[in-house]
Amino acid sequence: MKKLLSEENLELTISYILIIGVIASVAMESLGILSYYYTNGDFGIVFQPQYALRGSDFFSYSATMLQNLILGSWTPFQILALGIIVLMITPYMRVLASVIYFGLVRNPKYLVITAFVLIILTASLLVH
Amino acid sequence: MLTVLVISIFAGLLGALTGLGGGSIMTPILVQFGVPVKYAIAASMVTIIATSSGSAASYVKERITNVKAAFYLEMFTIIGAIVGATITAFIQPRLLYFFFAGFLLTSFYGLSGHLKEEFPKRVKQDRFSKWLELQGSYYDQAARRKVSYKMTNAHLGGLGMMVAGLAAGMLGIGAGAFKVSIHELILRMPSKVSSTTSNFIIGITALAGASVYFASGLLFVGLAAPMAVGTTIGAVAGGRVLNRIPNRIVRYLFLAIVLVLIVQMLYKGITLQ
Repeated sequence: MKKLLSEENLELTISYILIIGVIASVAMESLGILSYYYTNGDFGIVFQPQYALRGSDFFSYSATMLQNLILGSWTPFQILALGIIVLMITPYMRVLASVIYFGLVRNPKYLVITAFVLIILTASLLVH
Repeated sequence: MLTVLVISIFAGLLGALTGLGGGSIMTPILVQFGVPVKYAIAASMVTIIATSSGSAASYVKERITNVKAAFYLEMFTIIGAIVGATITAFIQPRLLYFFFAGFLLTSFYGLSGHLKEEFPKRVKQDRFSKWLELQGSYYDQAARRKVSYKMTNAHLGGLGMMVAGLAAGMLGIGAGAFKVSIHELILRMPSKVSSTTSNFIIGITALAGASVYFASGLLFVGLAAPMAVGTTIGAVAGGRVLNRIPNRIVRYLFLAIVLVLIVQMLYKGITLQ
């Protein structure tokens, strides 16, 4: 157990979280751009409120988008939005992983430091 | 979107080559194409998460990044970024052009500001930095040996990072060069640790800024998506060619780009109706 909880393994975990998040997000955005073209016949960018990521707070917004995806109601906008959500959630996950790690190895100093970062980020994502 | 994608690939490439980062280059170009400056800043902020996290992944794995220093410093950058992004959401757009030009001006400092010594020696660690366990070691490929180091002045470093976060959040950039200066000059990190740790922190700073832009409804997917894809491709390509280009050319390229961007942002700010 002690070997499993080495700082090296935390770094390895973080590294995987980051790379998987970025690849998943870039893949979804590429798919989104293609399906946008397929549906609209052009690559125009529209700056109207309905094309901005907006709504309730970030977490419930993400949940709604995910729900829509599972229910099969796909629109190019939703795929693009989900790609951005995955991107934003990636660094968030790596902070979460560090909080869990420092909790498990009982390092109160860094547990407080990483938890502080997590709380501020969560609060900031909850504001709308 | 296709145009944005192609420009982003170039911006990502140049950003990686010069160390400016994609965001600093992308925003002025988008503005030139008529994109409102606040939308450009918000989209850049999200894009930075992709480029930063992509490269951070490999540096963390190679154990060059000092994650503890990053966790500590992030506390300060996120607060700066949230405040900065909130300011941007509310102020007059015209001011942003001038702030942007002003910030680019400070990046010239990076050209001369680099430390001459390869690795900081005889650093006397203060008690607070020691308490934070701010030290480490990594294997340096170029020097072919293990480099051990200690950091100091953690309290000042935190303060400096808050300023860096403020600039990053306000302008939708990583402020990487600025962070690196703080790491090297105040905290006394070796330069490789400094740049990789800065890169690692940028992802969190960008998320903090992006969360404000999300809440303000300034984040447009049609703009952010092709930018994220493009700059990521560009940054990966840039990272690959960087080692093959002489330092002298990189410096001239940096100088030329920063000059053009400053002039352009000032011009835009002055002529804006």
